[in-house]
Amino acid sequence: MSYKFTVNGEGVDIDAAGVTPLLSVLREDLGLTAAKLGCGEGRCGACTVLLNDRPVAACVVPLEAVADGAVRTAESLASGDAPLTQVQEELLSAGGVQCGACTPGMMMTLTALTEQQGEWTEDSVRAALTGNICRCTGYHKIVDAAMRCVTAEGGSR
Amino acid sequence: MNAAVSVDGDAETTANGKVVGTTVPRADGDAKVRGIAMYGMDYTEPGALTVRVLRSSVPAARIVRLDTSKAASLPGVRAVATAADTPGTSGMLVVKDQSAFAREDVRYVGEPIAAVAADTPAQADAAVAAIELETRPLEPVFDLDEALAEGTRHIHPGWSDYEVAVEGHRGGNLAWEARVERGDVDAAFAEADYVVTDEYRTPRQHQTSIEPHAAVARYENGRYTVHTPTQFPFMVRDRVAEHLGVRPSQVRVVVTEIGGGFGGKLDAMLEPIACVLARKAGRPVRLVNSRTEEQTTCAPRENAIIRLRTAVSRDGTLLAQEAEALSDNGANSSGETVLCANVPALVLGSTYRIANVRYSSKVVYTNTAPTAAFRGVNGPYSVFAREMHLDHIAAEIGMDRRELRMKNLLRTGDTMINGQELDDACLDVAMDRLNEIAPWGERRSEDGRLRGIAVVPATWLTNPGPSAGAVRLSEDGSVVVTSGAVDIGTGALTGIRQIVADELGVPFDQVLIAHPDTDTAGFDNGAQGSRTTFGMGAAALDAATRVREQVLEAAAGMLEVSASDLELAEGHVAVRGVPDRRVSLAAVAGTAMWTTGPIGSTGKFAAPPVNFDAGCMTGALFTHMIGVSYHAHLAEVEVDPDTGKVTVTRYAVVQDVGRAINPGLIEGQVHGAVAQGLGYALYEDLRLRDGVVIDTGLESYRLPTALDIPPIETELLENPGNQGPLGIKGAAEPPIVPVAAVVACAVADAIGSPINSLPLTPFSVLAALRGRDSRDESSRSG
Ligand code: FES
Ligand code: FES
Repeated sequence: MSYKFTVNGEGVDIDAAGVTPLLSVLREDLGLTAAKLGCGEGRCGACTVLLNDRPVAACVVPLEAVADGAVRTAESLASGDAPLTQVQEELLSAGGVQCGACTPGMMMTLTALTEQQGEWTEDSVRAALTGNICRCTGYHKIVDAAMRCVTAEGGSR
Repeated sequence: MNAAVSVDGDAETTANGKVVGTTVPRADGDAKVRGIAMYGMDYTEPGALTVRVLRSSVPAARIVRLDTSKAASLPGVRAVATAADTPGTSGMLVVKDQSAFAREDVRYVGEPIAAVAADTPAQADAAVAAIELETRPLEPVFDLDEALAEGTRHIHPGWSDYEVAVEGHRGGNLAWEARVERGDVDAAFAEADYVVTDEYRTPRQHQTSIEPHAAVARYENGRYTVHTPTQFPFMVRDRVAEHLGVRPSQVRVVVTEIGGGFGGKLDAMLEPIACVLARKAGRPVRLVNSRTEEQTTCAPRENAIIRLRTAVSRDGTLLAQEAEALSDNGANSSGETVLCANVPALVLGSTYRIANVRYSSKVVYTNTAPTAAFRGVNGPYSVFAREMHLDHIAAEIGMDRRELRMKNLLRTGDTMINGQELDDACLDVAMDRLNEIAPWGERRSEDGRLRGIAVVPATWLTNPGPSAGAVRLSEDGSVVVTSGAVDIGTGALTGIRQIVADELGVPFDQVLIAHPDTDTAGFDNGAQGSRTTFGMGAAALDAATRVREQVLEAAAGMLEVSASDLELAEGHVAVRGVPDRRVSLAAVAGTAMWTTGPIGSTGKFAAPPVNFDAGCMTGALFTHMIGVSYHAHLAEVEVDPDTGKVTVTRYAVVQDVGRAINPGLIEGQVHGAVAQGLGYALYEDLRLRDGVVIDTGLESYRLPTALDIPPIETELLENPGNQGPLGIKGAAEPPIVPVAAVVACAVADAIGSPINSLPLTPFSVLAALRGRDSRDESSRSG
């Protein structure tokens, strides 16, 4: 089967079985390796990408669920040598990046969060991040970065 | 960020223009947030074949027949490897008892038996399925006590023929034993008012880096090159060579970006397999573990049993202590478990004064996946046992738990159980600071919820391994540091840049660090035991100091003044007091190039000798502590009496870091270590049943999430050491060490009954709450 969708704004046409995980298409066919295969079972969130603006675990999303959709990966945040987005800046300056293996997935969850309207509290931000495991940081600095992105204080930075 | 404070309580001030002591953002962050950092799992080479490994499905068996001919003839298959291709016997430094592939016997579920390199993953899978293997079951051994019992089958019948680095007490299923005996233990027990006895059991904890192990190898000009996300490239080089039966110089290890290590990526695992297949196939090969392979075969923290017996006087003086620590080596000594055999003894005897001790630490073979280092190695369970046992003693003699600790705490000038004097001990300062942050007092139950509190002091060490590095001044005035040191995410290399930047008076971003490559870098003992900023930092500072001398000498000629009148700042050499008379480092480099020769130097570090009583120990490979640091942790918990659920409501850390090179990065290490410690305390348990790992993925191996970590109050003490550069002590490893202990002691306080095993799942807490814990074997005499 052939599946058409967009990845980071560009149209792609992938010829593969419908059950093929989106993650393997991204990493192996398209050479987009930001999203990581941390577990392959939808548990760690290292493979998080945005599908139609919502965070999904690309390792368990079959290609047929992506058809005609719009996929965004971490490579799209600051494409090429463009300046970093606020999510990227805040994560770095807060110290929310250690080994960085969770970071691409974490950033996509945070990006979706900043794009959604709503009042975010620390608790709701933490709840939104439970699908993204970070083994390094203990989360506090990631949550600090997230709060700066979603609150007025962060907006004015 | 909490300000770093000196032990005297003074706020730290950073000298003008210097970056040491400031929170410089990590230098490798941009590529990481752009998603373009190339991890081991992302790396490949043109034409790379896919490798799949046939692993044992049984824990103990004799290989009767292994036939790979059918597999080798399948389409797309380029090479097949078995033990016949890896003639060497290897092991982590001490006991050489491991082959890359099972030879006569298989000894654990998941042990590699053969591997295949093929054009596609599907072809490699098909070839693995076509390998014909016949085995005859052997009696498996799983239980630590049973393994050591008379008559139990020896997992390594040929143990006495194995090469060992030093002779030690071992035999049969006892892979190694370390002993410490000091003072007159029997006399002290005879005089004691109380004798308290306990047994503690702790589970395996898996590092579970987000990135699995991966290796990409090629073979050219008679040498192997392997790209791998390793913490310790020189160890991988040596181990690959040992397995393949070649010289270390025939192996080149290049380190990729590394997506988490925590001790799990110190040893060679996939690299020997990838290398041998690359040679046989004549093509590059790529091997990446699945998550299941990670959890089931990649060496976790060892499960252990600790038995303690302590003689105490009525006033709470610890008179003597006996301990037996059994730690599970798994099926071979490929991890650091044997190397660290004596660590439980050092941990038990490094925080409180105990004049008379008899400790035995036994590392035991079982038919399970080998165990290895995980941040803090044996520390977390040794401190857990030590502290729960102290609480038991406090209850027996009717003394306040904190008071008992303060009474016996090692103070400046006291000696550890190995006779080593701690001349900079500040455990009392750390405990006092903690008491100011969160004054000691009993927590009472409220709303039916049970509340508990605990404080735990701890002493820890910095890995003493050696380092070599090189620093050179580039023609544009920037500085390049070449070393084998790896940044596994801690930011250690950022700290090294800070040290070098200050020494040479260049801006932080003008110091570059070359990628670790065993062909070009000097030896480095690996990213372990918080030693990178300490050991490699010292080597880099040594090299930078020599470079500084060369710079001053060259600049003195250019400026026609004496070198002693010059200073380095802002990328220039200036005449002191005459800032206008200056030359740029680029000009100095350019001038020196054609006169004295290019500016650059190597530097090195070896841990200085320490006085201790070597005669009190046998079989100890870790005999003493270097870069000793002092810690105190506090936890407050709530326990739901109906469900047994534990909630940590408050957590505080006071940590001596010697000198805080980058306080923000250190705080990040404290957070991460405490989070891993909470996982170990509350739910991480890599379960095995009949030698089979049950928790094969993250569905049942529960890791802490963003909702699980309480606020962590952190205070850094600066109590400079005299063994590392600038007073530095290792900082990233130690904050995991007291966590399980302080949480368990707080839970025991809340529920009013002791905790004798980890993790503190709701089920086990309920059992303890209902007094079902029958392992409380205290006895009272005198
Ligand atoms: S790799 Fe997709 S959730 Fe872990
Ligand atoms: S930074 Fe390493 S897993 Fe999050």
